[in-house]
Order: sequence, then structure tokens, then C-alpha cells
Amino acid sequence: MGSDADPVVHARVTAVWRRESTQLVAALVRVTRDVDLAEDLAQDALVAALEQWPDAGIPANPGAWLMTVAKRRAVDTFRRNAALREKTAELGHQMPDGQEAEMPDLDATVDHVEDDVLRLILLTCHPALTPESRTALTLRLVAGLTTAEIARALMVKESAVGQRITRAKRTLAEAGFALDLPVGRERTERLDDVMSVVYLIFNEGYTATAGDAWVRPDLCHEGIRLARMLAALEPRHPDVHGLQALLELQASRLPARTDAAGHPVLLEAQDRARWDQLLRRRGLAALDRALAVARERDLPIGSVTVQAQIAACHARARTAEETDWPRIAGWYDALAASAPGPVVEVNRAVAHGRAFGPQAGMAVLDAVDPAALPGSHLLPSVRGDLLARAGRHREAADSFAEALALTGNEAERTLLTGRREECLRAAGDR
Amino acid sequence: MGFVQMDPTKDVDPPEALMKAMEEHIAKAVAAGVFLDGGGLDGGQECTEVRLAGGKVTTTDGPYAEAKEIVGGYSVLEFRDHAEAVEEARRLVELHQQHWPGWEGSVVVRRIWDAPPPQA
Repeated sequence: MGSDADPVVHARVTAVWRRESTQLVAALVRVTRDVDLAEDLAQDALVAALEQWPDAGIPANPGAWLMTVAKRRAVDTFRRNAALREKTAELGHQMPDGQEAEMPDLDATVDHVEDDVLRLILLTCHPALTPESRTALTLRLVAGLTTAEIARALMVKESAVGQRITRAKRTLAEAGFALDLPVGRERTERLDDVMSVVYLIFNEGYTATAGDAWVRPDLCHEGIRLARMLAALEPRHPDVHGLQALLELQASRLPARTDAAGHPVLLEAQDRARWDQLLRRRGLAALDRALAVARERDLPIGSVTVQAQIAACHARARTAEETDWPRIAGWYDALAASAPGPVVEVNRAVAHGRAFGPQAGMAVLDAVDPAALPGSHLLPSVRGDLLARAGRHREAADSFAEALALTGNEAERTLLTGRREECLRAAGDR
Repeated sequence: MGFVQMDPTKDVDPPEALMKAMEEHIAKAVAAGVFLDGGGLDGGQECTEVRLAGGKVTTTDGPYAEAKEIVGGYSVLEFRDHAEAVEEARRLVELHQQHWPGWEGSVVVRRIWDAPPPQA
């Protein structure tokens, strides 16, 4: 599209599009009740902008301009459908009542921006979809990324992303999704689904499961932006603030998480001067909001807010030595109670190891069934760490070797190789 | 990072309408997840620049005193690229144009330096 357009104007149109597409698509979904059609109409408006703006200039309110064009096309589509209905009626196939060619109230679109966007996020994270589809569809419709950008971010083929999105839209159409904003318990449950998707997107960027780079900042950035969006849309839900807090705090450490060569730097070795202070402050403030809302509404905090508490303990420590490990271990105990799982247990083992000595950590780790984490390098690498701290270097080296065989991430491999060599040297010295 | 710079010889108190429009604009940026921090800066009564030049430390009444310019406010926003940041700046200038007749000034977009991205 618009390949012959002036590249400067093209960049500006793209910038406007990224900025307006979420609201545009969200409003159109409400009006048309059809995700596919809504996206088509929005894309049509974008094409019209690419055609007209280079000559006419970018309008003062480009969002309104795009909305007007999209609405006009929506009206055309409805008219065509009305004509279709008339023809069907003539042939004796009467449409059922209530499906008249009544035009939706298009001008009301601008009044419900927040509801529209929230509705769109709830839709793209619909329980009828697989987690992969939810991720792709959310990145596409809510974050406004192109299929190519999503493919790059998720490291899958563009055609695969396209298929995933098409299939997701079809599933939604078949499921006859409800566009009403859920209330009460259902709303909370749906928000939990949304939070999982946002967390997944961020996490995929924070610790890349495949490829050479340890972090993919673009995915982190999208995840954090979605979390902030959600916190602004649903401020009465404590855990959305908790999620925002968690992601802001984790992101604040991104600049220190890799060295100049792109190798991972573990938390305790990080240069805390390189932590992003603005994000750190924002994260701590969001956590305060989560706790305040929970107190005010007398609601319990969820596991994501507990994770934010842990991240906040690290963020508050000016040096690694100042880290309040007993407190972190306590929060991990809380997390293990509210959201039990082998990954939590492994992390709890690390915290207990730091707080109360390697033996305490090992006790937690020994209770984890290795079969619960098949093919993961996590268990042997943490065991290696605890063994090394206990001075059992030769066993530690074996554990690191085991972990090495299991990781698919190049940067992590480098780190584990280094630790194994360290242990072998230490064992040889004795 | 965006700075709003303006000519101090003009009316320095922003009209109510602009403040309201800015409030709405910022609320939208917050909801879109791109607004990190921001605020207005005082007109310049208590604005001093301490400067080292040619081995001499000098103190003047404000960073932009010579250029007859003050910084009216700042915002820290997060965008995917420069084009998005420029689009934001354009809207800020247009808001001023719309709600503050006679206002002249500029919005300067600066990228906050961050650590080099990890090698791919």
C-alpha cells in the first residue's frame, strides 16, 4: 500500500494510524458487530488517508477524519446489505423481526471510547481462543501492529500469523461473541484472561524462549503499553494496577539485564545505576495504587500483585546486598499458596536459599517433581546455583551441564557455560 | 521527551480552555499507555542558569534569557519511533494554536538516550 507515496508522509500516516487504530477498530467493532468487517473498514480508511493526505495534507484531527471515512463505508455496506435484504424479501424469504436494516447510531461512537477499547481487549482475549491466537489478535487489533511486525516479534512466519488471526476471527464469528461488557464475577474472570495475555506478551519479550537475543524489547514495550491501557480502563480492579506495577518494575531493569555484548546479567550482578528510575518510580506507584484499591474495596490481591511485591522488594534495594530476602521468601510462600506451580517453587527455592541458606533452598527444590518441568533448564540451573553456594562445586558443575543440554537460548547457554567452568575451577582448586 | 518552548514576552498564563484541552489530551495519552511523566514549568521568575564557559562560572537569570524563550512544560512519552513522537508534538502545537490565540512557540522532541540494544 502506498509504495509510491512520499516516504515522509507515509511515515506520518503510519504514525497517525498506530495512534488511532485501536479506537477506530474498537468503535467499528461495536457498530458493525463484526471483527472482520471492522478491520476492513479501518484498513479502507487507512488506504484513503495514504491516497489523499500526501496532496491534501494531514488533517488537524486525523482520528476524526479516519472515523468519518470508515463510517461512510460502513453506511455503504449496510445500505448494500439492506438492498440485499429487500431482494431476499421479494423472493419470499422474510427476514426475522428485529433484523431490519436499522442503521446503528454511528455518531454515538466517539462517546464511548474507553468502553469500546475495553470491549475490544476482552474480545481479542476471548476464552474461545487459544492463548497463541489471543496474543496475535491482541497485538493486531489492540496494539495496532501489522502482521509482519507481529511475526517478527513472535518469531514465527508471517503466513502463520495471518492464519492464526484469520482463524481467530472465524472462531469469534462462530462463537457469536457477546459485545456487552461483562459485569460482576464474569468481568473479573475475563479481566484475568486479559491480564494473562498481556503478561504473556511481556514475558515473551522479557525472556525470549527462542532465538539468540535474551530480550526482545519491542514485545516488552507492547506488553507494558497494554498493561497501562488496562489500568486506565479498569482502575477499580486492584490487580490491573498490580500487573502494571510488575511490568513497569521488570522493564525498569531491562537496560541492566544485558551487557554490551548482549549477554545476560543476573539481578545480583546488575549495575543498579542503569535501572530506569522513571519506570521504577512508576512501578512502585502502581503497586501503591493496587494496594489502595484493594483496601478501599476490601478485595484480596491476586498473584500478579504478589509478583509485583517481589519485584518491588528488588527495586527498593539500593544494592544487591541490601535485598530483603526473608521478605521476598515470604511473598513467594504467599504466591505458592495462591498460584501453586513448579516454576513458582523453583523461584521460591532461590529466595529461601538466599534468605535462609542453600540448605533451606535445596529443601524447597527437592520437593519439586522434575517431571513437572520436562525439558526445562530451570531446575538443574537453580540446583547448580544452590550447590555452588553450598560449596559442592563438582555436583554444581554437573547440574549446570545438565541445564546446558536443555536450554535453547544462546545467551543463556553462554551464562551457564561460564558458571559451569567457574565451578570446575573451584572444584579443581581443592 | 517533549519540551514546550515559548516566547515570554507574550501572555505567560495559559488560558483555561488550553488547560482543559491539555488535560483531556493527556488523559488520552495515559489511556493509550504512552504517557510516562510530564508537567508544566513555572513562568520563569525563579529560573536560573549556572554556566561554565572559558573556565568561568557565570550565573544568569534563566536558561533561555538571551534567546527570549522559556520552557513552559515538559512531557515524557514513549513511542515506537520518531514519526510517532513528531505526530504527538504536532498535536500539542495544534492544541496551543486552537486554544491560545496569539501563542507562538515550539515543541522540541528529544530522544532520551538509553543503553544500546542487546546485540541480535
